[in-house]
Amino acid sequence: MKLTVLKSTIAGVALAAAASAAWADKANDTLRVAFTKELENVDSYFNSSREGVVLQRAVWDGLIYRDPVTNEYKGNLATEWEWIDDTTIEFKLREGVTFHDGSDFTADDVVFTVNYVADEANGVKTQRNVNWMKSAEKIDDYTVRIMLKDKFPAAIEFLSGPVSMYPSDYYAEAGPEGMGLKPVGTGPYKVVSVVPGQHFVLEKNEAYHDSPKGQPTVTNVDIRTIPDVNTQMAELFSGTLDLIWQVPADQAEKLAETGQFTVSNESTMRVGYLGMDASGRSGDTPFKDIRVRKAVNHAINRGELVEALLKGQSQVISTPCFPSQFGCDVDAAVSYDYDPEKAKELLAEAGYPDGFTTDFYAYRDREYAEAISSYLNAVGIDTNFKMLQYSALRELNMKGETPISFQTWGSYSVNDASAMVSQFFKHGSLDDARDDETLEYLNIADSATDPEVRKENYSKAIKRITEQAFWAPMFSYNTNYVTTKEVEYTPTADEVLRFTTVTWN
Amino acid sequence: MASVTPHDRLLDEITGPTPGQMLRKRIFGHQGLLIGLVVLILLTLVAIFAPLLAPHDPYAQSLMNRMVPPVFMGGTWEHPLGTDHLGRDYLSRLIYGARVSLLIGAVAALISGVIGTAMGVAAGYFGGKVDAVVTFLINVRLAMPVVLVALAVVAILGGSLEVVIVVLGLLLWDRFAVVMRASTMQVRRREYVAAAQVIGASTPRILLSEIMPNIANNLIVVVTLEMAHAILLEAALSFLGLGVQPPTPSWGLMVSEGKNMMLFEPWLVLIPGAVLFVLVLAINLMGDGLRDVTAPENRS
Repeated sequence: MKLTVLKSTIAGVALAAAASAAWADKANDTLRVAFTKELENVDSYFNSSREGVVLQRAVWDGLIYRDPVTNEYKGNLATEWEWIDDTTIEFKLREGVTFHDGSDFTADDVVFTVNYVADEANGVKTQRNVNWMKSAEKIDDYTVRIMLKDKFPAAIEFLSGPVSMYPSDYYAEAGPEGMGLKPVGTGPYKVVSVVPGQHFVLEKNEAYHDSPKGQPTVTNVDIRTIPDVNTQMAELFSGTLDLIWQVPADQAEKLAETGQFTVSNESTMRVGYLGMDASGRSGDTPFKDIRVRKAVNHAINRGELVEALLKGQSQVISTPCFPSQFGCDVDAAVSYDYDPEKAKELLAEAGYPDGFTTDFYAYRDREYAEAISSYLNAVGIDTNFKMLQYSALRELNMKGETPISFQTWGSYSVNDASAMVSQFFKHGSLDDARDDETLEYLNIADSATDPEVRKENYSKAIKRITEQAFWAPMFSYNTNYVTTKEVEYTPTADEVLRFTTVTWN
Repeated sequence: MASVTPHDRLLDEITGPTPGQMLRKRIFGHQGLLIGLVVLILLTLVAIFAPLLAPHDPYAQSLMNRMVPPVFMGGTWEHPLGTDHLGRDYLSRLIYGARVSLLIGAVAALISGVIGTAMGVAAGYFGGKVDAVVTFLINVRLAMPVVLVALAVVAILGGSLEVVIVVLGLLLWDRFAVVMRASTMQVRRREYVAAAQVIGASTPRILLSEIMPNIANNLIVVVTLEMAHAILLEAALSFLGLGVQPPTPSWGLMVSEGKNMMLFEPWLVLIPGAVLFVLVLAINLMGDGLRDVTAPENRS
């Protein structure tokens, strides 16, 4: 009964979509894309989702651009930059750049944007992206200085990522709500219409400046939110979508087998790990015992998870960061091989010869979470499986009420270990380890300007974290992009879908 | 009965078949009832003897053997119904899932049956203020959408077998109360009840030995209906991720887990869906049949 309902829903949705969107295809130069999650606000400072990053890179520009292939920093809205001292960077801005509303891009826009987002009172959603900046100062119309609160070597990386420049007059008037409904930026795509959370229509910015992002080829991009993967695939089959992404491995495999689509797979920076309450914030939990945490590490067959469930470009991860990130020293990490017998021994040593029962939390990838809890069950750790929404789990996590949870972190595609290790091990509200030694290393690593000193201290921190088994890092994610044969797209390793590099075959 | 004398035959002709014989004849003449009964008994036996019948451990995961197709779709007899998305044997999970479904159906129907019958009989027998209060409670209960309330409560308390059973048990008593109240009102006016009252029988005695036996046939029908209802609700809650939690096998959960691969591996959804359908059909057939064979108008 349930099946017929679902099937008819899919058929119905597909038909409805076919009727309404039949005009759009390659002939009309319109790329039709599906988003899985609802985007809360297009304003990139007021959302924390991957879909938001995709739109941010299309609609706005940063001062600097990092080439996703070579990882080389190139000037985008700034043409050159220079460290005046440890906490001041001076930028020469590109001249002749205009916003989508026709206003000129000048130093005033940079000053306004930086001062606005750096002010905690304005409530930028992910403070870590902006709270290292103190303020900005105009030198002349095309020269600007950004002052840092403290030494922050990853500044260039953040400026090339989440920090994008907004038009000062427009933003002062419209604010985040107005910007979310009618976004205005300098980017390669203009926003034509926004139905919040549901439908976004973009159009090529004909006057796009000579940016390292390259000039856009496809004229129109039509993005709809379709939460169900089956519906997305049905629409792909019926020809009302051209590109879907974040397709689960099993479905991508089957779609590739049909031969009608191009399936490409790229690794992402997202790392999946088990967070354990080593400091006992959730009460007297067994995870306070290092032997229990090591047992958890030994209980999980990471290789099998990667090979059978994640597939693609995913890899086994033993570090609390993604290996490509600066400072993420794989050799410093202690890795734990799959050894259920040893896990049982360690549990017995810790005083749990018959195992114990714990709440097990997860928020995404139910399938992986089930597989992981099943490994734990196999060594005697019984799990009360609890699947929550991300926001709910994050809140519980901040209150320190999760003894063990399956978490993931994508580092906002920032290619620096500080975006992950320092996010979770500096005694913040999400830190369940609360280890002073780790904090000490990270404090040095985060603020040192000498790359060698940074590397050395991140290595020490990683060694300490893995020796103590505060986490059980498991695997990195990958993303599958499925397109019709008409679309040509080469994904990059940072999980950002770039419309500028999409072309028609 | 080896030798039937002419005298016996004569006696049969005069007295006709006994009520027991007539009931038996009606039962065995009612195909729907028989089919429902047989299927239900089979499934109950399967549930009870699950550990003996299941070919594999329903919790044993084998990621290297994921989504092996069932034997009729090119699989092997190692896994007759294939394996699920974590490589667990589908047949074994189906067999253990029968336990969850039947347990929830039976216990939820029992809880709600006790509550609803007590309220309905009290209202029908005593009338007056008791009746007014019970009718009010029934109306309140009928005004609440079962699925939404169940969803909300389970979301707050967290899903588990016990929570689902209790929530459904406390929600599904309305039909018991309505039917029992009406039946009791009819029976209460009968002469034998008046007679029992006249000879001074206590109220509990009248309720238990005069009223209850005469409304039991209606009760049985409602029990079967509500059992089917509870089983479907459990499947719906589990499908939504709010019912029985993994790794416990539940048919609703299996449908939900197979949903993502529905376009390519439809059997993942079809198999548990079909079993659920058969179980609920069997229970409803049995309820229908019981009503037919016990209803007074069919006794002649």
